[in-house]
Amino acid sequence: MTTTDSGALRRTALNDAHLALGARMVPFGGFEMPVQYSSILKEHDAVRKRAGLFDLSHMGQFELRGPNVGEWAEALTINKVANMKPGQARYNVFTNEHGGAHDDVIFYRLGDERWLLVVNASNADKMWAHVSDKRSGDLQLTNMHGERALIAIQGPRSVEWLQPYVDADIGTLKYYACAEMRVRGTHDPIVIARTGYTGEDGFELFLPADEAVGVWDLLLAENRERGLEPCGLGARDVLRLEAGMPLYGHELTEEITPVQAGIGWAIKFDKPAFTGKDALLAQRDGNDYSRIVGLTMEGRVPARAGYPVFANGAQAGEIRSGSWGPTVEKNIATALVQPSAAAEGTKLEIEVRGARHAATVVPLPFYKRAKS
Amino acid sequence: MANVPSGLLYSKEHEWVKVDGDVATVGITDYAQASLGDIVYVELPRVGAALTQFGSIGVVESVKAVSDIFTPVGGEVVGINDGLENDPAAVNRDPYGEGWFYKVQLADASQTAELLTPEQYEQLIAES
Repeated sequence: MTTTDSGALRRTALNDAHLALGARMVPFGGFEMPVQYSSILKEHDAVRKRAGLFDLSHMGQFELRGPNVGEWAEALTINKVANMKPGQARYNVFTNEHGGAHDDVIFYRLGDERWLLVVNASNADKMWAHVSDKRSGDLQLTNMHGERALIAIQGPRSVEWLQPYVDADIGTLKYYACAEMRVRGTHDPIVIARTGYTGEDGFELFLPADEAVGVWDLLLAENRERGLEPCGLGARDVLRLEAGMPLYGHELTEEITPVQAGIGWAIKFDKPAFTGKDALLAQRDGNDYSRIVGLTMEGRVPARAGYPVFANGAQAGEIRSGSWGPTVEKNIATALVQPSAAAEGTKLEIEVRGARHAATVVPLPFYKRAKS
Repeated sequence: MANVPSGLLYSKEHEWVKVDGDVATVGITDYAQASLGDIVYVELPRVGAALTQFGSIGVVESVKAVSDIFTPVGGEVVGINDGLENDPAAVNRDPYGEGWFYKVQLADASQTAELLTPEQYEQLIAES
């Protein structure tokens, strides 16, 4: 991966591949990334029905080593970490003193003392500064951002299309499990995890940057004609919204806490102490907090981030994310609303260019894949 | 290569105009639909609305973005394409046919002199 002059965008190892595939490139998280190759809706459809291939090499990857990584991490995050076994991945949130989110992340435990921490691209610098600042004792941290690539294959055909190139049985990897396996074209075993951000089955491959092009091309060479599509960040955002997954900066921020975001399942209050615990406990118990809800628009006008939300004629919140949802064939959105407007079934009005349009609060997720 | 049919006039904002007597049909060009990507919603003016040439009179929404529609001609709206409500993708599929937006009774036929010929529009998009 090349780092261009300061201020200019960085490029992933797959940049040439994206351009050759006709991708439209946009800046994201300091990198030039593909927003779409053909059409966002076609790419979305490919992931839901067959599989899509994503370059996620802009995300931050930190290697953590030492005997106390779990305990160290538990003090800084909402979820438990120390009881993770090698071969497990787990979703978590690093918090500030007020219970707000620095970032939502995934920990991958590779061995007794070897861990991978993946952070959002937009927070890579902030999170590196944070973990470095909090580093203590014999904890070793390595920032691999930009040196390692991340390729994801997501969709119901993922096992079928990835398996031929992997030397171990990926079908037996459980959801949120990870393992080191040799993939054709990689020199050493690489981390493969059954994780993703689309609501479909799929795998994330963490590999050296100089092996990324080989693996990307290999996966597309035989499977493109079977319906594997390269997919950009545009499709990724629609997929995750349908699946009810938070996007940092929208449903989680330094101000919007995991309690407000509806991910209380990931908060382990029985931990003796962690950053922001008292604030989150008070917030949860007070039950008076504005919260993230899902909503569907009655009509064809999409809701977009920032649009005001009204209940009974008074402003009750704002839209945080919104899009046409192709799988559910409705305009879907998340909104941060007052508790009085948050109950399922509540009728809301969303102001779009000065006119108010009807919406209804619905449970998240908007889409759940069928159990196979 | 974007399709630029002959027999139409074009605006710098990537709309096309088909003039039939004193009624003009308006839509967006093939270049515009390709740039915008998947169209998910079109907000059209109301029948009866009075439009001023080059004024902002509606929006066309793609998955990621909202874009203004600037009317290439002024006059009274005498028809709108209701079909776009439930099939906005028609704009991508057939921007010059099924994907038409609205019809205007021209207030001043000489306004069409402000528009581009197919050759001039081809030049515009070649330079983009």
